[in-house]
Amino acid sequence: MSCHFEEDLTAYVDGELPAARRVEVEAHLGGCTGCRATEALLRHTVARVAELPDFVPSVNTRRAVLAKLDALPVPWWERLRTLLRPGVLVPSAGLAVAVGLALVVVGPGPEAPEELEDPAVMELAANLELVEDYELLGLDSPEDLEVVASLHELEVAQ
Amino acid sequence: MLKVAAGDRRAFAWLFDRYHASVARFAFRFVGDRERAEELTQDIFVKLYRNAKAYQPTARFKTFLFRVATNHCLNEVRRGEYRVAHTSSEAPDGEETGGVEMAGPDGDRPDQALAGRELERAVGDALRSMSDRERAAFTMCRFEGMAYRDIAEALEASESAVKSLIHRATLAVARRIEELQAGTVPARSRG
Repeated sequence: MSCHFEEDLTAYVDGELPAARRVEVEAHLGGCTGCRATEALLRHTVARVAELPDFVPSVNTRRAVLAKLDALPVPWWERLRTLLRPGVLVPSAGLAVAVGLALVVVGPGPEAPEELEDPAVMELAANLELVEDYELLGLDSPEDLEVVASLHELEVAQ
Repeated sequence: MLKVAAGDRRAFAWLFDRYHASVARFAFRFVGDRERAEELTQDIFVKLYRNAKAYQPTARFKTFLFRVATNHCLNEVRRGEYRVAHTSSEAPDGEETGGVEMAGPDGDRPDQALAGRELERAVGDALRSMSDRERAAFTMCRFEGMAYRDIAEALEASESAVKSLIHRATLAVARRIEELQAGTVPARSRG
């Protein structure tokens, strides 16, 4: 195995030599018994290795890999990118605007308009509420109206 | 792979289904142990997912994958976390040999099964006796059918260097098979 062609024999068997070198090796093999024996040995070895059974990984490998991916920490830029996606951003922004409008229109916050601090306005609002109670109950006799008007006093007394 | 880099999990699942058997086969031949091979396979795919942005579309995906796989296996073996075991040379006759099953109709015949185990053991011994780079090059060539050029890219070596690695490795396996056929395999290795 000391022939200087020997180093190329595996590549020759594997079909990995450039065409010119392959022709040289083939010409050499015709006259070198040692290299012919090595070539036969290499071919036999390659064929025997190909007989080895395949390694089949466990079916759990896929599940384990996906679980490891789930456990990976999400970088802040990925989270930001997720939030900025149109599918998330547009509904979120729309909801925020709707809530803002609702607060402005319906709910008097701690900084209520000045007119609501006026006692006369507040009394008018209370009377309007009483009238709504009358309409709801469908009352028309003066006694019934008086009972309804005194309901708040009864609640306080209890 | 570009979709994986953009965080597409379905694209990653597709790549996994397509290539995980190759990676597991490589890892198994590299460390010689089923359980460790599966752990390495999992780690390699997690690493692939995390480093997907490093992929250059100019490189063939399988070459890129095997570069990741080779580096990971080499690093793990060098760190000493994984000893190259080759259970085929450690398990007594008739016992589980790292999950490799003899396939095909002849594999069920006792004489064929025994011959298969002997061959597995001889190749396992040869793989264990090689350098890490010889083992990696041999495994990619013989079990994955990769071209020398692609192996060179995966190992970040020249084609000429890969040719030498594969030649030396194949001769090492050839000697073990010759010993097996001549009945001169050491008693320790024959179980």
